[in-house]
Amino acid sequence: MEELQDTMEVTQLEAVINDYISREFVQDATLLPLANTTPLLETGVLDSLSLLRLVLFVQERFGIVVDDVDLVPEHFASVDAICAYLRSGTGGTAAHGEGHG
Amino acid sequence: MAYLLQHLLTDSAARRPDRPAVAAGDRSLTYSELDGLSNQVARVLIAQGVAPGDRVGVLAPKSAASVVGIFGALKAGACYVPLDPSAPAGRLSTIMRDSGIAVVLADLEKAPGAAALAGSVPQLRSVIVVGPHWGHEGEGAAAAPPPGLAVVPWDAVLAEPGGAVTGNPAIETDLAYILYTSGSTGIPKGVMISHRSSLTFVAWAAAYAGLGEQDRVCSPAPLHFDLSIFDIFATCRAAACMVVVPERAPMFPVRLVEQMEKERISVWYSVPSVLTMLVTYGNLAGFDLSRLRTVIFAGEVFPVKHLGGLMAALPHARYLNWYGPTETNVCTAFEVPGGGPPDPVPIGKACANTDVFAVASDGRRVSRPGEVGELYVRGPSLMQGYWGQPGKTQEVLVPNPFQAAYHETAYRTGDLVTQDVDGNYVYLGRQDGMVKTRGYRVELGEVEAALYGHPAIHEAVVLPIPDELLGSRLRAVICVDGPSGLTREEVLDHCRRRLPGYMVPDVVEFCETLPRTSNGKVDRARLAGAR
Repeated sequence: MEELQDTMEVTQLEAVINDYISREFVQDATLLPLANTTPLLETGVLDSLSLLRLVLFVQERFGIVVDDVDLVPEHFASVDAICAYLRSGTGGTAAHGEGHG
Repeated sequence: MAYLLQHLLTDSAARRPDRPAVAAGDRSLTYSELDGLSNQVARVLIAQGVAPGDRVGVLAPKSAASVVGIFGALKAGACYVPLDPSAPAGRLSTIMRDSGIAVVLADLEKAPGAAALAGSVPQLRSVIVVGPHWGHEGEGAAAAPPPGLAVVPWDAVLAEPGGAVTGNPAIETDLAYILYTSGSTGIPKGVMISHRSSLTFVAWAAAYAGLGEQDRVCSPAPLHFDLSIFDIFATCRAAACMVVVPERAPMFPVRLVEQMEKERISVWYSVPSVLTMLVTYGNLAGFDLSRLRTVIFAGEVFPVKHLGGLMAALPHARYLNWYGPTETNVCTAFEVPGGGPPDPVPIGKACANTDVFAVASDGRRVSRPGEVGELYVRGPSLMQGYWGQPGKTQEVLVPNPFQAAYHETAYRTGDLVTQDVDGNYVYLGRQDGMVKTRGYRVELGEVEAALYGHPAIHEAVVLPIPDELLGSRLRAVICVDGPSGLTREEVLDHCRRRLPGYMVPDVVEFCETLPRTSNGKVDRARLAGAR
């Protein structure tokens, strides 16, 4: 994954991701407004279909590539986790990511 | 002689008591344990008033606990009805009322949700907890249940004797389970499968896949999906080990492949879209899947590109394409030749003890390669009908048009097929408004009926959008009454409260009027082209 531009401010990135997930995937109205710490997997907000769509969204929106080895639960556990992953850049992923994606 | 599904378990437990029957994370059960625990569940069910033929709900993900519950329900002479733990409560209560479920088996996590359904399911009288806190019984005692509802904790199940339950009067034509599938008029259809019907499939499937007791069989399909019949019952017949992976495992392909390696999976069964995820995002080259000897897929068309990629990545395995609507279990099979998949991949020839034939639009039996007809199925694997819907049943279970000597039932699949020069059937498409998404059947009419349930929606049409990974995505085109200000979010929210996630439209569009054909019907072809 390429480095996200530094111009993306902390709250702005969270807001974009939170807004997209809230709008597209949250089925249980009691989860709204969605907290950045709300678990997305246990609550079923993300399933196999919504996860793929989220990956496509961040790839298009931020011009990055999510490697197959990055498609792990830790990176998609919450809005905060997604943003932390997006900010982590290529560190630790390039060695495994060659030849895929 | 095994003439009921539970006999597969008692036979394997007698032959191989100490072999692993179910492996689910760090919890595994031997055949002897599975047999004993399911006897205990059966006793509790009988004590709760479950009589032969009653429907017992199973509200839990696939797990060691839910497999115990399923065999317990069968041993009590009941028919089990898997309830999708991720479906909205409204759909669950519709299914429970429809099938007359009075007793539900639920795991500790789902038990409170099951109890809460008592308000909308008047006949519900007991919730029985099965596992999963093995060895920690008594934990998580639920809040006081609603009046009139008994909640039986797992430690009460364990207090029952584990010896065989005798006196079960069930026979092979009694129902073993009811699987609910999408219905075109907005009401889900309960496909009734008898023991004989299921065993016809199970015996064929275990032999065709060559299952032996060393096998470790895995399918991520949930209990309410008919693929689960294979990994529960065919595995049990072979005294092999059923390996349970979490239902969300296919979301994270690399982790799933890692688990397949660790669990030494030898036989895999899933819808093609899961395999497409594995070949696209699973880093297959990074893991040792040399023990995986058989890969079976069913439920939808496997794009040849991805099947070819999978076969190139794992060239040592056999690849089997199974075909069959839930109403027929599996009725045809095709083994993909090692040289690479033909395009399209045929659905193959009839299974053992099953016959299939195609009927052309003029009523003649298709006899030459290339001719097109609707596929019919006959044999003991057919369903008994749709629960409580004799009219719908009669539309599809029809007299075999080519049997004049006596009455014989055939199932009309609604699938258009042709035959290749080798006699293999090839799937061409549907005659009606049913589409598949991730292997799930979706009647477009059921989604449309849900949309029409919104007071502001005047007209609604749902169309499939072909999608390489998912089979189809769903696109809803909606006309609203006057200036309602109805938003896309409101439409989606409305659908999510009524439909399982895979039936919620992916795309919502608004228009003033729907295009019509000259005879006044909505012009679906024109709408489909307008993208």
